[in-house]
Amino acid sequence: MLDLSDSQLELAREIIENSIRSRIRKAGAEGGVVAMSGGLDSSLVAKLASEALGKRLLALLMPEDGVTRPEDTVHARAWAEELGIEYRLVEIGEALRPLEAAFKGMKKGDKGRRLVAWGNVKPKVRMVLNYMVANLESRIVIGTSNKTEMLLGYTTKYGDGGVDIQPIGDLYKTQVRQLARYLGLPRPILEKAPSAGLWPGQKSEEELGGTFEELDSILYLIVERGYSTREAALELGKDLAFVRRIYERVRVNEHKRKTPTITRLTAMCLDKDWRYPVERE
Amino acid sequence: MVRTVRIGLAQIEPGQGDVEGNAERILRHVKRARREKVDLLLTPELALIGYGCGDIFLDKVEENEEALQRITEKVRGFYAVIGHVEEDEEGSLYNAAALVRDGKVLGRYRKANLANYRLFDEWRYFKPGNVCPVFETGFGKIGITICEDLWHPEPARAMAFRGALLIACISASPYDWGKEGLWDAFLRERVHDNLVFMAFANQAGCQDGATYWGGSKILSPRGEILAEARLVGEDFVAADLDLGEVARVRRRDLRLRDVRRPILEELLRAYEEREDAGPQR
Repeated sequence: MLDLSDSQLELAREIIENSIRSRIRKAGAEGGVVAMSGGLDSSLVAKLASEALGKRLLALLMPEDGVTRPEDTVHARAWAEELGIEYRLVEIGEALRPLEAAFKGMKKGDKGRRLVAWGNVKPKVRMVLNYMVANLESRIVIGTSNKTEMLLGYTTKYGDGGVDIQPIGDLYKTQVRQLARYLGLPRPILEKAPSAGLWPGQKSEEELGGTFEELDSILYLIVERGYSTREAALELGKDLAFVRRIYERVRVNEHKRKTPTITRLTAMCLDKDWRYPVERE
Repeated sequence: MVRTVRIGLAQIEPGQGDVEGNAERILRHVKRARREKVDLLLTPELALIGYGCGDIFLDKVEENEEALQRITEKVRGFYAVIGHVEEDEEGSLYNAAALVRDGKVLGRYRKANLANYRLFDEWRYFKPGNVCPVFETGFGKIGITICEDLWHPEPARAMAFRGALLIACISASPYDWGKEGLWDAFLRERVHDNLVFMAFANQAGCQDGATYWGGSKILSPRGEILAEARLVGEDFVAADLDLGEVARVRRRDLRLRDVRRPILEELLRAYEEREDAGPQR
């Protein structure tokens, strides 16, 4: 079920917090770093990680002047202060400027493509800053992607996808909202319209072509319950073409959920034959 | 006749491939079992090597056997079941449980129903066992099953036919929604099928994002819960069992006595006839 009971939400909290602590301990890291945007996903992860790590958690607030909604930064800062975690504010505009010059020199691509290509640079810059701090201070980079966006490929490869762990990556977006409400996240964060924040006015649901309730109900039936697209459309009373379009996104974005494909030459190809755990004592 | 026996469940979190560390963890529980006057101590599936350790199974077979012998030396005055990897003379590996006492391995059970779906990949490493023995102890016959075995009615049934009063199930069950309810149902089914005590010892902790959910428990032949460990984290619980209960229940519930040979033969014929038999055949 997409709707989780309070006891399930409590168990999810315990499992997620334990998984964060477990990774940090086994990696021998000093702590974790999480990028906080002021949105729902990263605010929830900050809450869970702060409960798991206490003072060992650092939040990076990395707005881009003129693009990031000012209230998002206000919300992120207020929430970090309420959680009592250390946070640092790094405006990324300055880091973007030399890249912007290079980008302008590249003439290819129509307007839509250019918007996306440049938009994707920003999460990658944030990823660079995350890892810079992580390397300097022996931290694990904690991701904030949810299952809905990972399935739909609504993530930037090596951007927000460039992290060490994804603690809420097995929760659908509507479940993220349930857990956030259960854990008492502030109302403005719970109620704001989801946005990737890559360009001004960007709205996730407009871009994806459906509300997260719709998208999750479709994905849930197909992924968790084994429905065909036709069966899911029938069950939910949705247009088959719409359901197919959603599932097509899942299919073509498999590459974002995997490590890079290695061309196999030995009997011990590292992404195919070799199976060792990441976490070891 | 009242035949009291004390069963202890060591719900430990093994390190992946950390045989030395796991032997220490088990030995701490051996000490505790001695302190708490336990007659039989159960450890989780593959507790010596760590269930989710992937190809490390292949690397640490000898080390794991040596550690088993070391632990066996320390188990004095009571019985213990230790999850480990067993290797036969031909180099085949088994997901196994050893019954040990007073410096001796008294017997071993090889998991009969290997799990090989979703995140499970046991056929990659292990051969299945094909026998369902019972082991004679000072307090009566016991059967040992391993995790997936309990999701099938046959191994426990065979052990009940052979006179087991108590069936242990050592396990490394990773959490997903509803898993605790599913396991509770399977444990109860085996209890009510076979009119035996069931003792379930599950692994704890998180390994590479999979949470072994704990919840170890002991059920009476009437389905009463005699001991139950916490979810997710490490724990140790024990309970006193009156094994005389088995006879008392079976005097009035004759189903085990009345299992009919023609129907068992029919079951086997039906099994041979079916076309969708899996590779475990």
